[in-house]
Amino acid sequence: MEITLLQGIIITIVIMIIVVDRHLEALFIFRPIIVCPIVGAILGDLNTGLLAGGIVELAFAGIAGIGGASVPEALLTSVMTVVFAHITGNDVATSLALAYPFGVLMQFTWTIRNTAFTAFNAPAERYAKEGNVKGLMKLCFYGIVITMIITGILTFLSVYAAQAPLKAFVEAMPDWVINGFQVAGGLLPAVGFAMLLRVTLKGKYVPYLLAGFLFATFIQIDNVLPVAIMGVAFALMEYYRSGEKEPVTIKGGEESGI
Amino acid sequence: MASKKRKRVITDSDLTDLALLSVLNQACFNYERMQSIGFTASMGPALKKIYKNNPKVLAKVLNDNLEFINTHNTLLPYLQGLMLSLYEGGEDPETVKKIKISLFGPLAGIGDALFWFTLLPIMAGICASLSSQGNVLGPIVFFLVFFVAFLLRFPLAKIGYKTGTAALDKLQENTKRVSNAASVLGVTILGGLIATYVTLTVKTTIDIGHDATVNLQTDFFDKILPNILPFAFTFLIYFLLRKKVNTTVLIVGIIIISILFSFLGIL
Repeated sequence: MEITLLQGIIITIVIMIIVVDRHLEALFIFRPIIVCPIVGAILGDLNTGLLAGGIVELAFAGIAGIGGASVPEALLTSVMTVVFAHITGNDVATSLALAYPFGVLMQFTWTIRNTAFTAFNAPAERYAKEGNVKGLMKLCFYGIVITMIITGILTFLSVYAAQAPLKAFVEAMPDWVINGFQVAGGLLPAVGFAMLLRVTLKGKYVPYLLAGFLFATFIQIDNVLPVAIMGVAFALMEYYRSGEKEPVTIKGGEESGI
Repeated sequence: MASKKRKRVITDSDLTDLALLSVLNQACFNYERMQSIGFTASMGPALKKIYKNNPKVLAKVLNDNLEFINTHNTLLPYLQGLMLSLYEGGEDPETVKKIKISLFGPLAGIGDALFWFTLLPIMAGICASLSSQGNVLGPIVFFLVFFVAFLLRFPLAKIGYKTGTAALDKLQENTKRVSNAASVLGVTILGGLIATYVTLTVKTTIDIGHDATVNLQTDFFDKILPNILPFAFTFLIYFLLRKKVNTTVLIVGIIIISILFSFLGIL
């Protein structure tokens, strides 16, 4: 289905507001699980938005730009996953893979922005020397507004202006390419999970990983909540055990590794 | 330098304002000094109050804080509250600067461990599975939990201001225990998530004669262990990440290889 100009404008405005939160990381309304249903609702398809929110959130669960690391942006990927599902009728996994390049596009834009924002440092020093707190606030305001504007432009172009060529592009793809994107959509969450494993997995946690994996593989569950409850049980065991008088143990290194 | 004034000028409402203003932390985020401008600006009004009669020191303190800083956004008000109590108590700005430099890194470590590596994946796992069933509770629960996390900024500003560095030792000590337990929870859920949300099904069938075929997926892999391929694939990515392969390269690579294997009829 087509995206109307009005829908394009509303999505752009909403994303311009949400990107402020992405920029400041305050309320976490910029996460895919929230952005996708909102975009879906604007397009009159809340259900697709919810389904997309689930899969995109998981794909990005471990992909965090910690310490200014440059990673694909979840925000525009979220928007475009819903947009692709809406305009082409493909499922959300396929749409996620199709939407990824837009996340990379936003990543590049933000890398340029983060570089350009170094220009704020000189006036900031000048204001500081004048004891001018209002001046510093003004710079913050500029930083937010500039981010809103570049994200707004990028969103409008991606969502509305590019929809006809995008649709034509996807429709021109042979079935095996679409199928390939669908396969990729099923694999992409592994990247997020692997990134999380990289920061959390230590040898002593492997049993819990296996337990969670086996539980979800062999027991029919509708959602991951039962696994979480089992995880809470393990966590409590670990918590109380670590509270007991520490026996003489060789301190494990902080290195992750199995 | 700073006059030794003991008089309290920072009120509770100033600390509330500080917690609110702390959202500006990343407003001018850049690669050279990261959060410095937002960090300084958000403390600005309170500093102005402390150094009302001493514009020279105010300028120095503001300028000090414009140096590189990169810490955790939600825990930031704790550090700022602590710094304000030191500035207010007449501590030498040089000392406060040193304390700040020694604290923002560990604070970032604690915050990232608790929020990015534990709370986010757990909430993502639970809420995404609700969303995937078309349940609006997914986004709603997610929002509420992170809203509570946001509200932590207010008590954190006060704790930082009132308890000073003593709280950090306690926090760090408890964080170790809590984050250890949280890691157990997170890793258990990750195991479940891998089994549930990574899909990899081989389509290849092998003709073994007599009109019989072996379906590699259902007759072979599933017989060994269902979900063995998603598990193996996740670990492949894990090892590639440990070999410092760039994330974007990995993602683009996965898409290209998927299309290639789809063309070959394997996936």
